Amino acid sequence: MSLRLLNKVGIQFLQETSVNFLAPIASTSINVQQVRHRRTKHWDPKWKPLRTLKVVKVELPKFNENTEDLTEEEMRSRLKEQGLLPPRPWLEKPFFISSTGGVFEGYVPPEGDGKVSPISAQGAKQKLQFLEKKSKTMLAIRKIRSFEEDFDTPEFCKAAQNVYIKMHECMASGDKETIQQYITERAYPEVMHNMKNKTIRWKYLKDVELPRVVHARCTDVVSKENIFAQVTVRFHTQQVLAIYDRFGRLMHGSEIIAKDVLEYVVFEKHLANEYGLWRVHDKIIPDWMPPKEPTSLTFEKPQLNIIESKEKELVDKEKKPAEIAA
Amino acid sequence: MALYKVKSLFQLGNQIQPLLITQCDKFHTTSDLSAWSRNSGPKRWLKYNDVIYPPQSPDEEPRPAFVCHQRTNIKYSPWKMWYIASLVRGMSVDEAIKQLKFVLKKGSKDVMEVIEEARELAIKEHNVQYGTNLWVAESFVGKGQVIKGMRRHGRMRHGLVRYFHCHYFVRLEEGTPPKDYYMHAPKEPSQQLQEWLEEMRKRKIINSL
Repeated sequence: MSLRLLNKVGIQFLQETSVNFLAPIASTSINVQQVRHRRTKHWDPKWKPLRTLKVVKVELPKFNENTEDLTEEEMRSRLKEQGLLPPRPWLEKPFFISSTGGVFEGYVPPEGDGKVSPISAQGAKQKLQFLEKKSKTMLAIRKIRSFEEDFDTPEFCKAAQNVYIKMHECMASGDKETIQQYITERAYPEVMHNMKNKTIRWKYLKDVELPRVVHARCTDVVSKENIFAQVTVRFHTQQVLAIYDRFGRLMHGSEIIAKDVLEYVVFEKHLANEYGLWRVHDKIIPDWMPPKEPTSLTFEKPQLNIIESKEKELVDKEKKPAEIAA
Repeated sequence: MALYKVKSLFQLGNQIQPLLITQCDKFHTTSDLSAWSRNSGPKRWLKYNDVIYPPQSPDEEPRPAFVCHQRTNIKYSPWKMWYIASLVRGMSVDEAIKQLKFVLKKGSKDVMEVIEEARELAIKEHNVQYGTNLWVAESFVGKGQVIKGMRRHGRMRHGLVRYFHCHYFVRLEEGTPPKDYYMHAPKEPSQQLQEWLEEMRKRKIINSL
């Protein structure tokens, strides 16, 4: 009992004193500056260098440094510091050319192809021009025949269409390994870029027109015998295409709308290679066709001012007779 | 470095001692020994950027786009960085960058840069149309490499000095930030009253009609 009393008194006493102690400080606003007294340092600055010696200096690695930004001189001094020899440039570069780097003498599609009928004047003109340009193509095809005896254009078109479909199916399934049989090394990075972070739903429905060879060229690389052949095939087909982004949101096309597609696809084969394959090399996009903009995800909300004003007029009209009546 | 030394030994051996060559052959310089090598840093965070989600039907609500980004081994204390990382959580990107400009800490510069990089990445690679329509969904810190130094003490003793590094991770999500980022946000008075009322009405009075 006595202890409890003592405790109570003690607490009261403490509370009171604390209030009394704090009161003057709180009431009078004296500008008090905080001073940090450090007791671990010697007051005499003559010991300062010795104090620094206590810490053994460690050179920390620079993790986030971009080594490409270093100048040659800096790099040299770095290597010298570490006692390393500079890396020797590797002069031999073995490379095997299995495809050309582009399309040579590319086919220029006639303007309005797929829309103009052959009966009209423009269509007839196109047909004539097509015949004129054929001589070089015939020569190239003859060259191909010298390597590939049973080369036949309708047969080739069937095979080309097969390659074309397989390539797109590989793209849709994201098969990076098998697609190498259907596209050349030039097209590979482009196709991979188009596949990246996407889900592609592609379906080939039918031909609108039969595929036909429109253009063929041959060229030699490095030596005379090392010949590459490029054949442009015109595909007029019906396809379904829908592209979804990484999050499954529709970016382009639709899965239920079939569209007519006119394409000029360049196929290439390394003729000199016994095991060469006809592969998709490029698609010809003519200069006269404007580049398509990607579909936007968000749209600006149209302002419906006109309707509002009409509504207002209606309201006003309703009001006026009422006012008159009043 | 060790590999380099071995190589130089090889060169010596070719010239002089065939015995040394046989000895050199028994050196392990392959990845068997790399079990003890240093951890090469966080690996899983950026893997989230490679996940491809299945297509959605038009009646579903579109999934918000997100990007994960990181910066590893920043020379800053992970404990100090935590305050900066927590500050920007649940802010829109513009707001976060604006706030970070006024944080007088060394780490705020790195955080700001990482957020800006992530925003660019979102526009470039992840089909985000507007850089302003993003918010900081996740922002946290990891402990990076610790490099140990030494410090002389009196009486032939020594102390350890730790030089800490930290990783900073961020995830930006498309859309506007939520009203309450943390789940334990205080409830509105009216909400509280409603809940209390419901609770009262639900109770069972034992032995009553």
